[in-house]
Amino acid sequence: MKTFEEKWTAWLDGQLSGRELSEFEASLPDKAAAEAEKADAKKLSALLKRELGISALTNEEFFSHQLHERIRESSVSSVEREARGSTWWTIPRLLWTGTASLTVFLIFTMFVMRDKNPTEESQYLTQILNARVDPVVSPNASVSMFEVKQDRVTVLWTEGLQSLPADYAAK
Amino acid sequence: MGRSLAFLIPFVSLIAVAASGSQGAETVWSGLVIAENVVQPQPIPTELTRIEGVLKKFFGYNQFQVIGQSQKTLKTGQEDWLATSKFFGLHVDAQGESAAGYVLNLKLYKEKELLLETDAKLSKRSPLVIKGPQVGSGQLLLVLVIQ
Repeated sequence: MKTFEEKWTAWLDGQLSGRELSEFEASLPDKAAAEAEKADAKKLSALLKRELGISALTNEEFFSHQLHERIRESSVSSVEREARGSTWWTIPRLLWTGTASLTVFLIFTMFVMRDKNPTEESQYLTQILNARVDPVVSPNASVSMFEVKQDRVTVLWTEGLQSLPADYAAK
Repeated sequence: MGRSLAFLIPFVSLIAVAASGSQGAETVWSGLVIAENVVQPQPIPTELTRIEGVLKKFFGYNQFQVIGQSQKTLKTGQEDWLATSKFFGLHVDAQGESAAGYVLNLKLYKEKELLLETDAKLSKRSPLVIKGPQVGSGQLLLVLVIQ
């Protein structure tokens, strides 16, 4: 059993017919006002269809539209890919950076090696580790050692060794 | 051009570093020297030129004559050799090499008699002078120099 509102909507859309139509129109209190309202509803419906309706694309237009969409997407993605893939580290720059790093390393190494030399300065002079004379041959002999740093010479100084005649100076 | 330069710079640097670090065999000169004061002194032997000032200043003589010598090129740092004169002999026994020089055992003989023995670390840039016995009016000196 349809309500009045349902029958009203169906009447406005022209979907009532036969006995149902005649019974509904007989139940209307003011048929003239209802007919005016029905005419307004039809005008409004036509206006809405005209203004808001989706214009259907023809096959050519649809194909062209699809193609433009694809081109736009592919160009955008390639730009994005380029943006993501491009880097400052190009091969020549990598080469130069490697060369510069190696050169800096070698320079520092040379400086370190040069700095190492002063530590060897303490061993720069000859060192006498020990010295002995035969106490039987030279009972009063003594030894002392000193370094002449200015001339970089180390001297082992003996005293009291047995003196020898001049003949011993022979070659 | 740029790339070849980039290869050339580290290559040359490596060679320079390698060359600065390389070391060759060295020669030790060992000499028996008689120091004397004479009226007309002979020129000092070339081996002693670099220490002429020290010799004159510390020993007080004006003439230095080599009566025996030996030149030994050290390759392993384990060599031994003898510098002799008519009556003296200096036996040198190298006992190893370090960055600073060579460890040497030195023995001075008068004929077959051991007069003096010493162990020294001979630096490559520092000569060693040993005052030996008095000989006549002069003095026997032992000198070791890495040439």
